[in-house]
Amino acid sequence: MIITSAKPLEEILALLKDEDYIFVIGCNVCAAKLKTGGEPEVLEMCRRLEENGKHVVGWALPTAACSVRSFDALVQKNEKIREARCILVMGCGSGISTVASVTEVPVLGSNDTLSLGGSSEGKLLSDQCVMCGKCTIGEFGGLCPKAQCPKSLLNGPCGGSIDGMCEVNRENDCVWTLIYNRLNKINRLDLLYTVHAPQEHGIK
Amino acid sequence: MLFNFREKLNSSKFLVTAEVSPPKGTRFSAPLEDARQLKGIADALNVTDNQCSIMHMSSLAFSKLLLDEGHEPIMQLTCRDRNRIGLQSDLLGAYALGIRNICLMTGDFPSCGDHPGSKPVYDLDSVQFLQLVRKLDSGIDFAGNRLDGGTSFCAGAVSGIDPEKTIQLIKLEKKVRCGADFIQTQAVYDVGMFEEFMEATSHLEVPVIAGLIPLKSLGMAEFMNKNISGINVPEEIMLRIKDAPDPVEEGLSIASETIKELIKLSRGVHIMPVGSHKNTPKLLSLAGLSGK
Repeated sequence: MIITSAKPLEEILALLKDEDYIFVIGCNVCAAKLKTGGEPEVLEMCRRLEENGKHVVGWALPTAACSVRSFDALVQKNEKIREARCILVMGCGSGISTVASVTEVPVLGSNDTLSLGGSSEGKLLSDQCVMCGKCTIGEFGGLCPKAQCPKSLLNGPCGGSIDGMCEVNRENDCVWTLIYNRLNKINRLDLLYTVHAPQEHGIK
Repeated sequence: MLFNFREKLNSSKFLVTAEVSPPKGTRFSAPLEDARQLKGIADALNVTDNQCSIMHMSSLAFSKLLLDEGHEPIMQLTCRDRNRIGLQSDLLGAYALGIRNICLMTGDFPSCGDHPGSKPVYDLDSVQFLQLVRKLDSGIDFAGNRLDGGTSFCAGAVSGIDPEKTIQLIKLEKKVRCGADFIQTQAVYDVGMFEEFMEATSHLEVPVIAGLIPLKSLGMAEFMNKNISGINVPEEIMLRIKDAPDPVEEGLSIASETIKELIKLSRGVHIMPVGSHKNTPKLLSLAGLSGK
């Protein structure tokens, strides 16, 4: 799941300062789950934009904003999109880009895209993967230090954690403590002795 | 006659290193003046690399200024600000300018300093960074290209001293396997803990230089215990500072007693005072180390 957070309305209105006749597109996958772009949020956005003097020509809720097939597919959802002079996408950066690639008017986003994460046991899990293109997560017991350590350290923790909490954000667990505990649990502490080469950042 | 830090490291001499910081700006006379007090009493001076992520003059430039003054610098380099190209390029430049000792570390995160929004690089970690240095030493760069003149660095790394932190000890072991010539540690206040650390790492056979930060006040001790990873000021020392009529003097006294204990346990001490080195000559004299 792509983790997004909704921008404050004032910021969205500032983005739309010179725009009108807006068409709003939500996303019925990640953003819907996170309540940043599902049907209730889209309807609420339409209402608030109108309250602030904007004309909303219509809205649509594709299954996934990042998988919109074509402009015609959006027309099939709601032909009012033909009247749009601006499109506001309530999805992640990928959803906004996909919509922009099939439309001819300005496309703006109402969310900030934070990370690739998930949710489990009622908790939001952020920064689970950085999509590096060369997965070695198994060597760390299934927890990725490239994603979860702010310094992306591959050979063990920095010296900054206190009581198992991260130096950078004291409210977060140090992922290296979690990796240690996990490898201990699965009886694979030997993996900690591997010297890992740096991540190669070439073209994926 | 021992000449340089590497030779001293391989001797039985008890070493004294001290930390100095480059200026925040282009005027360097004051920090050079501060370093002058360490002439003849410190074997080498660690030059910090934008410590605490607060932007300063580069450690490379200030190391060269110290070298020109007759000091022996240990240029610190972190992984925070440069990718592998930048790090290698600075190392080649440093070597060409006569800098022979380096100390490599991960580096504090930018958010703790005065440019909190700057991009954290960490292209390499401290273990990989040591591997990189050993490649330059063998006359090739990290990508395997031949160099027109390689390096021969005396390269150190850093470590915490908590013997209970197995994962930190494993990382230290990797640093030694990847070629660390010496280790400088976090500040020691609990000599018993340090002794256990030395026992837990004795198989590594690497010279360990124990860190030391003389206490100046109770508030400073409390702050470090709460906020600095791996620092453990024992209750007994807290009480001594609390009851002392002059906490700074008491701090020096405690530090000198610690040094006397460390002489039996480590290859040297690394003095990292908060502020200037005004009291460092006195501290070393109290510890009986002022005679070179």
